[in-house]
Amino acid sequence: MTRSRDEMELDLAFLVNGTLSPAEMAEMEALLAEDDLLAAERDALAVIRAEMQAEEFRTPGEFGLARLMRDVNRDTAAPASAETKVVTLRSRTWMWQAAAAVAVLALVVQTYLPTTGGAPQGEGYVLAGASAPGALVVSFAPDTPEVQIRDLLVGADLEIVSGPSALGLYRLDVLDGGDLDTATAALRAARTIVESVENAEN
Amino acid sequence: MTENHHFLVQQVGKGDKQALAALYRAYERPVYKFIVSRLNDPHEAADILHEVFMDIWRVAASFEGRSQVRTWIFGIAYRKVIDAHRKRSRVTVTDEVPETGDVAEAADAGYAAKQEAEHLRFCMGTLSDDHRSAVSLAFYEDMTCAEIAEIAGVPEGTIKSRLHHAKKLLLHCLSGRIKGRAVA
Repeated sequence: MTRSRDEMELDLAFLVNGTLSPAEMAEMEALLAEDDLLAAERDALAVIRAEMQAEEFRTPGEFGLARLMRDVNRDTAAPASAETKVVTLRSRTWMWQAAAAVAVLALVVQTYLPTTGGAPQGEGYVLAGASAPGALVVSFAPDTPEVQIRDLLVGADLEIVSGPSALGLYRLDVLDGGDLDTATAALRAARTIVESVENAEN
Repeated sequence: MTENHHFLVQQVGKGDKQALAALYRAYERPVYKFIVSRLNDPHEAADILHEVFMDIWRVAASFEGRSQVRTWIFGIAYRKVIDAHRKRSRVTVTDEVPETGDVAEAADAGYAAKQEAEHLRFCMGTLSDDHRSAVSLAFYEDMTCAEIAEIAGVPEGTIKSRLHHAKKLLLHCLSGRIKGRAVA
């Protein structure tokens, strides 16, 4: 035996996962035959390893692959920088705020400025919801941080396809591989984040 | 298998999306398992898994083949999780091995007979990220000490030491929970 007990004890985990060389393994087994405590620790680690390997994980699977391919395609289409995704996420808040500001301004203009000809009344604007994209119309609680909204949508396989409207409504669609009913249920369950959920009627 | 994965990475480096998809299918499960074991947050783990494969897509051309594909990919995941912890400014959990010294009791108490995933998950959650990473790679992936050291970018002795401390902490924690339950 060339190594001390303390040195060999450090290899216990690798004895358990079977990655020691045959010579190291034989050396360890000889030590364990004389050391009941170490043998008990080996047994406990073996149970821990077996327990960990038996653990079930629900991975992103094909949805994750679809998401990867979508972003790879975007990356290929716009190879400007590796920061594209980060920038998109960071700027989304500003994008939403800007869109909301434009929508509010448009509402103010429509409400207070007199019609000065041009398109006949009843034309020149589109009713909210008419031919708009998205399967769901949703409003979020005003103070909800973007990260919470994002986590909720990613977890429910949803993406924002338009919004916010002047009333703060967003239109959402399910991602490929997602399920509309499941996604709707997830939104309804998130009561602290989502104020209202309705099926869009196009 | 290893040569095949080397070939896939080379192809990804040339912009082959099908090769990326094949690599994703080969490594998605173990890499996700590794990430989620360190974060305890499936949604964040899914995001990081996505980032890992986006990185693979972007840097595959620079992969020189000096390390195995598996250790290269897990190395990317390892660093991504460290970044995530930094962003969270997460306060860690215990690194100190308690002095109560009832490891022997834990082992003798017949933990082997108590197949309790819940206790194990809880106790894994009390470990520091360094300890948890080492245990995950050793026991989920059955990696050698050299592979784990390469992924973590530290000497093999450090990995052995981390696993040794993690073992003591885990057994101590499990012992405490089993005793607690016995009293209740």
